[in-house]
Amino acid sequence: MESSGATAAAEEERGLAASLTARYSAWVAEELDELGGSFLLTDPAMPGHPIVYASRGLPALTGYPRRAVLGRNARLFQGAATDRAAVAGLREAVRAQRAHQVAILNYRRDGSPHWVLLHVAPVFHAADGRVLHFLAVQVPIVSAATARRDACRGPAVFAACREEARVEEELPCAATHAGEVFVDIDKRGLEAEEPRVASGCDKEKALSTASSIFSALNRYSKLTGLVVCGKRCDSVGIPALSSSLNLSLGRIKQSFVLTDRHLPDMPIVYASDAFLSLTGYSREEILGCNCRFLTGPDTSVEVLEEINRHICSEQACTVRLLNYRKDGSTFRDLLQVSPIRNASGKVAFHVWVHLDESARCDFNGLAPEIWQLGAVGAVRVAVRSLSASGSLLRPAQ
Amino acid sequence: MVSATNLDGDYSFHGKNTPLDQFEGVKIHLYRLGTEQRELDALKSSACADQGSPSLLDTIILSQWENKSREGQLAYDVTACKLKVIEGERDFVIQMNDKWNSFLLNEYGKFSHPFGCSKLSSTKNCGELLLCIEEGEKNEPEVVPLTTPPNGGVMLIANAYPVEYGHIFLVPNPTNRLSPFWDKKMFGLITKIASEVNSAAFRVFFDGTSIVPNHTDFQACYFASPLPVESASTVPVYDMKTRSGVRVYETVDYPLKALVFCSNNAKALVNVVSEACLTLRENNTAHSLMISNNGRNVFLFPQVKSLVTGCYLSAWECCGYFVYHAKVDFDRACEAEISSRMASFSPEDGAFEDLKDLCCAIADDLDTCACAE
Repeated sequence: MESSGATAAAEEERGLAASLTARYSAWVAEELDELGGSFLLTDPAMPGHPIVYASRGLPALTGYPRRAVLGRNARLFQGAATDRAAVAGLREAVRAQRAHQVAILNYRRDGSPHWVLLHVAPVFHAADGRVLHFLAVQVPIVSAATARRDACRGPAVFAACREEARVEEELPCAATHAGEVFVDIDKRGLEAEEPRVASGCDKEKALSTASSIFSALNRYSKLTGLVVCGKRCDSVGIPALSSSLNLSLGRIKQSFVLTDRHLPDMPIVYASDAFLSLTGYSREEILGCNCRFLTGPDTSVEVLEEINRHICSEQACTVRLLNYRKDGSTFRDLLQVSPIRNASGKVAFHVWVHLDESARCDFNGLAPEIWQLGAVGAVRVAVRSLSASGSLLRPAQ
Repeated sequence: MVSATNLDGDYSFHGKNTPLDQFEGVKIHLYRLGTEQRELDALKSSACADQGSPSLLDTIILSQWENKSREGQLAYDVTACKLKVIEGERDFVIQMNDKWNSFLLNEYGKFSHPFGCSKLSSTKNCGELLLCIEEGEKNEPEVVPLTTPPNGGVMLIANAYPVEYGHIFLVPNPTNRLSPFWDKKMFGLITKIASEVNSAAFRVFFDGTSIVPNHTDFQACYFASPLPVESASTVPVYDMKTRSGVRVYETVDYPLKALVFCSNNAKALVNVVSEACLTLRENNTAHSLMISNNGRNVFLFPQVKSLVTGCYLSAWECCGYFVYHAKVDFDRACEAEISSRMASFSPEDGAFEDLKDLCCAIADDLDTCACAE
């Protein structure tokens, strides 16, 4: 039991490290270690939105050894007197995937509170506009009295950070860590001080640290051919889905795409891995396209018209038709198209679940059509998720 | 309704290759839980165990429910109902739904009889039946297609009046019911099901608020976002480093007093919560439960009867989720009003302190037993 526990821990550690190395090559950690200041990188695509990198400046500020924070949600830096409104602001920024600065009361490992200026920013995949990581820089805000006393000394050490703690609340896997959160909060003292205001100098420090991190990540990401940037570039011209929705959809194993009902020509806004392996296309090739790229000369026009009729009347349908892979080969496609309603009850998307009828699959005693409906159900649940503003799409910047 | 009109017999729940047995009695899929899951309890606490694809049971429940929806077995499409977050301290969630009906499962009548008996011999009567789940003896879970539901099983039945997507009743076979009020074995099985579904969106509810026997049915629903009570702050009531590993917390700053039981040890969690619920029942204290986090967290809401309406809150209402029938009420709903309504069901401080003491004593006792073993 214990050895399997240790194995699981080791696996988890490898998973966290891979979050960085897969995107920025194996050498990026060394480069980040060279950077001054205290900061974190977190991966919103992993359950619980864990910390995947902590800088060398982190222990000095927070008292946590670097290893102790890896894999945990950045909420661990919050405590009893952390301002809810500040946390809510951060949560909204993470949800909306934009940069945000806020002064916030954090707690060290020993439970003592301290004020920091927190700078959070998303790291985008340049090609498809997905958010790969969030970075969070923390600059300690000294009290006015201490600032006067220390005026003759050098610049304050950068402080590391906590960050999108609140993201966890939005993610479907949020509940997983609920238990741990309970413990953290009450052990901390309530000796909150007066709120502090970050100086212009603090804000600049936070920005310059963030910009050094971006520059390192960008440089190393080119080694893996992926390329990240601090600004979103929606090359395909479609709005990306929120990271929590992306995460929920990513778990669903059936072959399906999601099309946006409100965009011209109903483009694909999400494609599952199983769909890509079924059709041979890459995600970049099909995001933003209408589903008709699957059709070919022998695809029944009548069936396509039937699908259109059902889409127009907001009804689900199940059809069989001949579709084409990227390499030109055909497959008997058992296709289910269903309108998907969002939290406000309006049809926002259509899900298209494809099944190659010739493929031998085990559906555990269920009819293939029923098995496909499992994906429809899972998509319905995911799309019903709530956010404060009610939007599942990343707002335009 | 989303349900399509063009679905012919080929797409029915039974599938074309497994024609419905004309034999008397109900034939549905049976899911046997694997035995390995219990030993995995400890491992599951690590975050990585929650990754990956939806579980088989999760997929089956969702597909069967979606299928019932398409077949037109449900009274309405709940995903067409508008949800709204009342932004504030609690972020209560409200739903506008003028068709919802809170009738209890017993009012179906037909389900209060043992399954497999002639009362249910026609498939017409079990349209909402999704699946049967029972304890298995093999390591791996298995699915037995279209079989007669066993006596020891739990029937999953779609609620035709859902409060959210995937709303089901989890009903023990009545012949197997040991106690009219609370059955620890049943609760243990329900907790295992929650763990087996392994979806953060899946939450199980129990209302121990009726004085009428046989209202011991559990319900479950899929909520993509955490319910408001899950985001409430908590402080430990019982947090000793015990062998059983059950921790007990109470909510702070939440309008309804609640206890939260957390453990990766499913057996210990079931023992403690069962004892607490049995004692509450003996004292005629109404209470509701919510199981979340794949069966690792249980929220307990003791309630007092409202002097105004003479009723209690449902378990999801305790969690901060409310259904409104009238548009005008839905538009006007505000945090202050909901909070004060909830607070009116909250027990007196003294009674709640007693409950906390009781829960600590139960946890202590069970821990002593565990150590003595």
